[in-house]
Amino acid sequence: MFYLRYLWAELTRRWGKTLTISLGLAMASAIIITIISVSQSLSAAQDKVLNPLQNVGTDIMVSRTVNPEEISTLDDATREEALNDNRITMDFSKLGEPGEQFTNDTLMPGSMLTFASSETEKLDPSLVKMYATGLVLNVVHQEGTIPKLAAEIETGGQRIGFSQTFQMSDADRQAFMNAQQKTMEELRNKGIDPNSEEGQKLMRKSVPNPNSTVSGEIEVPKEVIRQEIGSFSTDVKTENFTLAGVDTSKNDIGLILPDQIVEGRYLEQPGEVVATRAFAQKKNYSLNGTITIGGKEFTLVGIVDPKLYTMSADLYMSLTDAQQLADRDGRVNVLLVKASNADNVKPAGESVAGIFSGVKVTDASETAQQVSGSLVSASSLTDKFIGVTSIIVVLAAFIIVSLLTILSVNKRVREIGTLKAIGWKNHLIIRQIVAENIVIGVIGAVLGIGLALGAIALLNHYDISLSATVAGTDTGFGFARRFLGGEKNDGITTSVQLNVIYTYTVLALGSLIALAASIFAGTLAAIKAAKMKPQEAFRNLE
Amino acid sequence: MTFIKARNLLKQYRQGAKTINAVDGINLNMNKGEFLAIIGPSGSGKSTLLQLIGGLDRPTKGTIEIDDIEITKISDAKLTTLRRDKMGFIFQNFNLIPTLTAAQNIEAVIAKRSKSDRKKVKEVLKQVGLEERANHLPSLLSGGEQQRVAIARALINEPEIILADEPTGNLDSKTGESIIQILHNLNKRNKKTVILVSHSDYVKKYADQTIEIKDGKIT
Repeated sequence: MFYLRYLWAELTRRWGKTLTISLGLAMASAIIITIISVSQSLSAAQDKVLNPLQNVGTDIMVSRTVNPEEISTLDDATREEALNDNRITMDFSKLGEPGEQFTNDTLMPGSMLTFASSETEKLDPSLVKMYATGLVLNVVHQEGTIPKLAAEIETGGQRIGFSQTFQMSDADRQAFMNAQQKTMEELRNKGIDPNSEEGQKLMRKSVPNPNSTVSGEIEVPKEVIRQEIGSFSTDVKTENFTLAGVDTSKNDIGLILPDQIVEGRYLEQPGEVVATRAFAQKKNYSLNGTITIGGKEFTLVGIVDPKLYTMSADLYMSLTDAQQLADRDGRVNVLLVKASNADNVKPAGESVAGIFSGVKVTDASETAQQVSGSLVSASSLTDKFIGVTSIIVVLAAFIIVSLLTILSVNKRVREIGTLKAIGWKNHLIIRQIVAENIVIGVIGAVLGIGLALGAIALLNHYDISLSATVAGTDTGFGFARRFLGGEKNDGITTSVQLNVIYTYTVLALGSLIALAASIFAGTLAAIKAAKMKPQEAFRNLE
Repeated sequence: MTFIKARNLLKQYRQGAKTINAVDGINLNMNKGEFLAIIGPSGSGKSTLLQLIGGLDRPTKGTIEIDDIEITKISDAKLTTLRRDKMGFIFQNFNLIPTLTAAQNIEAVIAKRSKSDRKKVKEVLKQVGLEERANHLPSLLSGGEQQRVAIARALINEPEIILADEPTGNLDSKTGESIIQILHNLNKRNKKTVILVSHSDYVKKYADQTIEIKDGKIT
């Protein structure tokens, strides 16, 4: 076919032009593919973070969270727990002598009130497919030197002597004298002289002479009085961290799941803990090392990357261990529920809300609102600008490619004029130029896919990570923090690796844009060419 | 019998506020197989006259009849077909497609291509003495060779009329002479009607009829 040979000759012998226009198209196409891929990957990453519940196989999260100002509205029992748990009382004198080193851990469920785990039996099996319980505790860890916090005053030990003379009444005296007379008569009847020495002795024995004077000595009991001192200076350091008891019997639902262990292994038996990487690094914990909490020793068996950002802890242990540490056997304060199907999420939430008082049911849309950080900014940025940027890139591509194409057609004025002069009809000329541009478009599309894949590989190579900050659970640390000056819990910041993935649809879209731009430009150029007059062939171009 | 008939041809161009009469009231009669030389200095309007006769441009006023067809009245598409079937053009700048070989440049004119047509391409190249250069690109050919390829291209459709616009303008006089000789032979041996535009007087000796033009008018 002559037309094809002409096409081939035109493209290969003017390869500079072919390459320039193709590269222009390729770049536009690559930019579009990359932008869309990055945007899609961002929103995928965002979805993952924004729907943390899904990461742990959960539809709804149930807790009993009480705000301080709501305490007065609670029933007595609940209020008592809320108040007790928010009050940290420390009796240093029980920890040892002043000047001695001490460590102390106080574990509190905080304002996340507990409920009996047996309550979960009330869950409606038709609405709930799976559930897991958990106990999230705030641990206030204190260590330092026991301060001299009381003045001790020793009192007592004085001896007090006393003496007192009593006056006898007339009746008493008469009674005494009567008794003497009676005894003297009895003695005489026995043949004993009351005035004899023996008689006097027997007289004193049977009728004792009443003492009119009482004297003695009292010793004041010794006592140590301890007086609390209002303020004391000490080097006591306070740290807060969160500890979660995990229902290790569930592998598909729970505060953490076995597949979130990034190093070491999952909890298998009592006495084991896993820590988040950040916490392990902060505390210099090493795998298989020992961690003492509340006087009990635990072995760090793994590093976990928790996905339930809204209810994350620094340390995780088995639920039983946590319950024992906190002295809350059979109590939990988090319930994760997987509904039997998507339609049942709402009814399941309502059903759960009816079982426990003061219950707070959280679903995905609520957790999403708590996320902020560079991931969210980047994502909202792309959401905002992706449309505009893409349109600008596409327009720029169309304009540049059209200009280049028209320019190249302008250079062929005499050639096209000649073709017309020797009998080429307009449609043949248009067909030829459009065909050239289709081929250039295809080359551009292929190069564009190559460039885009390269750019995506490069982006992934540089390990761009974005952070997402999730507002931490308010577990009532406010009180403790105020009293103990512990560090503020800023919530958890998760770093999300930007892993740019491409889909064939996006590649196809990018290619189509290159092709469309080229055909558009080709058509413009061809129309311009068709308008050229054959006498252009005669124009002397020198 | 008059083959080409031009009556009161007027071609006006606007150049800013001025109107230029490039061709101004020319009448022309030409018989089949005749060799017409149009001679004049540059800017005289001789090329414009050739373009009007060749149906590449339309006159402002006046009529042109070729073989009893009034080409000033037919559509662009019909005019294109007419050019392809009846006319062969030779240009001063050769106007070969730079990306096509000599043979492909000739082939570009053929409407329906077949094996016999390709054979014909070889024949016309042989006719102009360039069969050895069939697969060369124009850039590898000398000016004379390029013009001979252009002549071969003009001949491939076996046109009745050959229109040559200063075909020797870019060639040295010896090569130019050989090109004129080819045209002369085509006129005499192949009975082609030839219209040759030139600014040189020497072409007169090959012509059956010569018109000299100045300022768009026959002098």
